[in-house]
Amino acid sequence: MEYGFDFAYVFKYVPKLLSTLDLTLLIVAGAIATGLIIGLLVALPRLYHVPVLKQLSMVYVSFFRGTPVLIQLFLFYYGLPEILKLVYIDVTRVPVLYFVIFTLGLNAGAFISETIRAAVTAVNRGQVEAAYAVGMTGYQAFTRIILPQALAIAVPVFSNLVIAMLKETSLAFTLGVMEMTGKAQSLGALSQHFLETYISLAIIYLIISLLLERVLLLAERRLQRHMRREQEKRSWFGLRRVPPLNRLTRELNLEKKEVPSYEA
Amino acid sequence: MIKLRGIRKSFGRQEVLQGIDLTVEKGEVVAILGPSGSGKTTLLRCINYLEKPSDGTIHISDFTLDCKHAGKKEVHALRQRSAMVFQQYNLFNHKTALENVIEGLIVVKKVSKDEARKRGIQLLEKVGLGAKLDAYPSQLSGGQQQRVGIARALALEPEVILFDEPTSALDPELVGEVLAVIRRIAKEGITMIIVTHEMAFAQDVANHVVFMDGGVIVEEGPPAELFSNPKEERTKQFLKRYTPEFSYSI
Repeated sequence: MEYGFDFAYVFKYVPKLLSTLDLTLLIVAGAIATGLIIGLLVALPRLYHVPVLKQLSMVYVSFFRGTPVLIQLFLFYYGLPEILKLVYIDVTRVPVLYFVIFTLGLNAGAFISETIRAAVTAVNRGQVEAAYAVGMTGYQAFTRIILPQALAIAVPVFSNLVIAMLKETSLAFTLGVMEMTGKAQSLGALSQHFLETYISLAIIYLIISLLLERVLLLAERRLQRHMRREQEKRSWFGLRRVPPLNRLTRELNLEKKEVPSYEA
Repeated sequence: MIKLRGIRKSFGRQEVLQGIDLTVEKGEVVAILGPSGSGKTTLLRCINYLEKPSDGTIHISDFTLDCKHAGKKEVHALRQRSAMVFQQYNLFNHKTALENVIEGLIVVKKVSKDEARKRGIQLLEKVGLGAKLDAYPSQLSGGQQQRVGIARALALEPEVILFDEPTSALDPELVGEVLAVIRRIAKEGITMIIVTHEMAFAQDVANHVVFMDGGVIVEEGPPAELFSNPKEERTKQFLKRYTPEFSYSI
């Protein structure tokens, strides 16, 4: 069969692929939401040095950071039902989509927990002391003072994770989920115009990534508004990119200066 | 009234507080002086349990805490009775000046938001920052930040305000504005304990001066007496270093 590259297919396939975009975005949202909850829960024992739980969370993080996502998907999709069978729970009828979201969520959780841990550690020790001195409980100090500042520090890294997750959803097709990549596979197989399909697929991923990047940048600027030297200046759609790096490094230096300042 | 009895604290093997007894009357301004490493900051931090003393009792007005068996609840209750002004200001970085001042009122004292805002604005006016209510700490100078810190402490209406070298991180030009604010509130009869290296300020504002060295109180008394007529050799030696005008005779 003769194959001729036809650019028209690229445009033709874009809307067809977009019809499955909702599924892709659902996986991203579901996995990131799961990841956030798990990430926070897993970070806490390490931050507060809870015995046993701390070791467990370290094992969890090592596993999910140290094995390929594809393998994790296979392990959970084929392995989890077998294990649950032992305790008489039947999950064989649970849709694949849930397995995908759950596994990707666990994967994201590992990275998010590390991000949170690093960010919380980066918040100046003096902030907790001030919170205690004001009379707050440990819980109040964490939720009202530490966490918001840690989130501001963590957003840039978090943005990376979200965009990486968008692309990792493409692995779901290996389990037969008809998200964008899955759809592209079948379109390509039908028409034999694989290259065109993949070009339109790449274009869509790229555009979605760029959009996500913008949205996350807005979130970043909102969360980090206290780090800016001057008062808010409005700019078009938040596109004025001011790297918060100066401010961050300066704060880190400050921290270094502060820690040993209490004479013993 | 604040009474500290037999406060001890060790970092590892080194005992930095070796049984401190200190009484502060209501409305009194106490300045704690001493060289670096004398334990004065540690002592101050023990009063609100940012450092956990290994032994001793802390008594603030109606509340007594025995450091040997103090649980979370007791520590929490103790901290509600004091406020602290830090050397590095330690303002909440993600909150504006006003939010910094009212945070404790809303979260800890459960004052309504409107009421808290009113109080917060009054206090910031009082420290001369009525125009900076919505500024974030990163947008304020060191002196301004420290004045917000003082307003934050005042807002809680504590039994005592603990000042931990409040001007040490400021450049000389900004020290004055902060000292002025402290002096003003001292006149209002608020009990204060101030760890400081500003000798002239201590002499001027304090009713009672404590000189510490090596984890013990070497000497204490009214400023007029301690500065002009110190009894202990160590105090004389220390004050000589800090009041060079007396030592320049050739």
